Amino acid sequence: MKTLKDKQTSMGEAVRKYCPDGSTFAISGMGAREPFAALFEIIRQGKKDLTFVSNGVSDAGCLILGSGCVKKFEGGYAGIILVGSDSNVRRAREKGIPIKLELEEYTNYTSGLRFLAGSMKLPYMPTKSLLGSDIIKHNPRIKVVDDPYGSGPLALVPASNPDVSFMHVQRADVSGNGQIFNAMIDDNTIARASKHVVLICEEIVSTGEIRKNSHMTAIPSYCVDAVVHAPFAGYPLWCAGYYCCDMPWRSYYARVSKTQEGYEQYIKEWVLDTISWDGFLDKVGRDRLERLVKMERDNYTIPVL
Amino acid sequence: MLELAYTNKELMAACCAREIKDGEVVIVGIGMPMMGGHIASRTHAKNAIFVYEAGGVSPVSRRIPWSVGDTPAGEKATAIMEMWRMLSDCQAGFIHRGCLGGAQIDKYGNLNTTCIIGDQSYDTPKVKLPGSGGGNDIGSSCPEITIVMSLSRRKFVKKVDYITTVGHLTGPGSREAAGLLGKGPTSVITDKCIFRFDKNTKEMYLDALFPDATVEEVKSLVEWDLKVAPQVSQVEPPTQEQLEIIRTLDPKGLVLGAKIPLDDFEEFAQMYESSYREMKIYIED
Repeated sequence: MKTLKDKQTSMGEAVRKYCPDGSTFAISGMGAREPFAALFEIIRQGKKDLTFVSNGVSDAGCLILGSGCVKKFEGGYAGIILVGSDSNVRRAREKGIPIKLELEEYTNYTSGLRFLAGSMKLPYMPTKSLLGSDIIKHNPRIKVVDDPYGSGPLALVPASNPDVSFMHVQRADVSGNGQIFNAMIDDNTIARASKHVVLICEEIVSTGEIRKNSHMTAIPSYCVDAVVHAPFAGYPLWCAGYYCCDMPWRSYYARVSKTQEGYEQYIKEWVLDTISWDGFLDKVGRDRLERLVKMERDNYTIPVL
Repeated sequence: MLELAYTNKELMAACCAREIKDGEVVIVGIGMPMMGGHIASRTHAKNAIFVYEAGGVSPVSRRIPWSVGDTPAGEKATAIMEMWRMLSDCQAGFIHRGCLGGAQIDKYGNLNTTCIIGDQSYDTPKVKLPGSGGGNDIGSSCPEITIVMSLSRRKFVKKVDYITTVGHLTGPGSREAAGLLGKGPTSVITDKCIFRFDKNTKEMYLDALFPDATVEEVKSLVEWDLKVAPQVSQVEPPTQEQLEIIRTLDPKGLVLGAKIPLDDFEEFAQMYESSYREMKIYIED
């Protein structure tokens, strides 16, 4: 029930309940606030035949794309920024290892339009992007039509309504009013387009605290099914006002995931054997995490009104 | 060999800055275009407005962002909006200029960032690339497009394997026929030279050379029979002021593409903390 006063649950329970095999899912963020904690749990539970819909994704999205859990990616971008191209996604697409990754390609804008249409219960959205490109040739779900009102060719992109979205935000109350600090990307829209929303927050605050910065509530509680309090859920990427990204960790992952054996070893050591997200964080080291918090908070905090 | 007091990457960044006119609204990606924006905003284009695809408008970053998700990309911004809204502002005509890169480009400035197909297929490509991102959207709609990519025969090809972002498509009139709003690419900045596009034929031609490059060298690095301007000019070296800005913002060359091993956590943390001290002179309210 989306009107429950307290929707707190565990990540394990949220993934079991809202993301069965064959689901279509989306995630929050782009380069920051990508919910590693949820994706680790999806891998731990050995989900199969998932479709991942996104606009653009960096590290977390790439980690799940070549895991064998996802059979199809619909989106605009998947790559590891600054560190290098993602070996994991490349293997799945080029060699079908561990399974063949199907693609339905859009752009960052037109992926956003798909969620916008979905959030308004409309079937599609028209755009002047995509026209003349090969994206249209390889994606039969994009239709080019003549504008009935006379502006010429239009590309239509189909609405997206994911079964579930995993939305990582800075803070929330227990009923799921989710507040985002700094870039929101398309998360307010994705949440509204999704049939179920699992809200993952760094910090649980009172509804009174939410009311003080109400303009920051990107996701109102009536969109949200479950609230999971999971500090560092976006590690090793950024979470503005909470922690800085861990570049050496990203660099380590990029290096080991160059081979399938290295990737599988990483998943075994850091995802499966650690049992839970807290287990993973303990193994990374709390001192290291606290240093990243200091690096961020010395420079950026949510302003107090 | 000419002894230079700067690298060609630094000159590329300076060239990128020079393309930007004062008063423009420019959407910049991370890396070289962003550095160009930072230079322009501190020299000749103080009234330009710089925006990021991830949503930040005119941020005052105390450290140069390393990624779209990096907090300073939204620091003290005048506005932060959704990504689809930022890109719809391109479609609506609010954003005058976009800066793009690619893995392959042809003589009409069509860009490929989707996949290298080689003798294989789209479904089983030789190399899967990250995809369009906002590239197609920016290239479709912004009136002025500056392309930034290093010059090599592997990249400057007769036919791109896949058109991710439409340039001048197949020549005069083809963009309009496809229904696109923007006018297509205006310049290509490389690490050897600057190309521009002929007003009539829409074909790329060599317009200006970097001080250490020659026409023959450039022609040898382009797969098609490259047109050359009747008078090829020489690119001015970066000014002292431009170099100072680049080196202060990016002392290790990270943003301009240096492969720095960031493996040691302590070293990384110290670099991060010192980057705020080094940039202090640029902090403004």
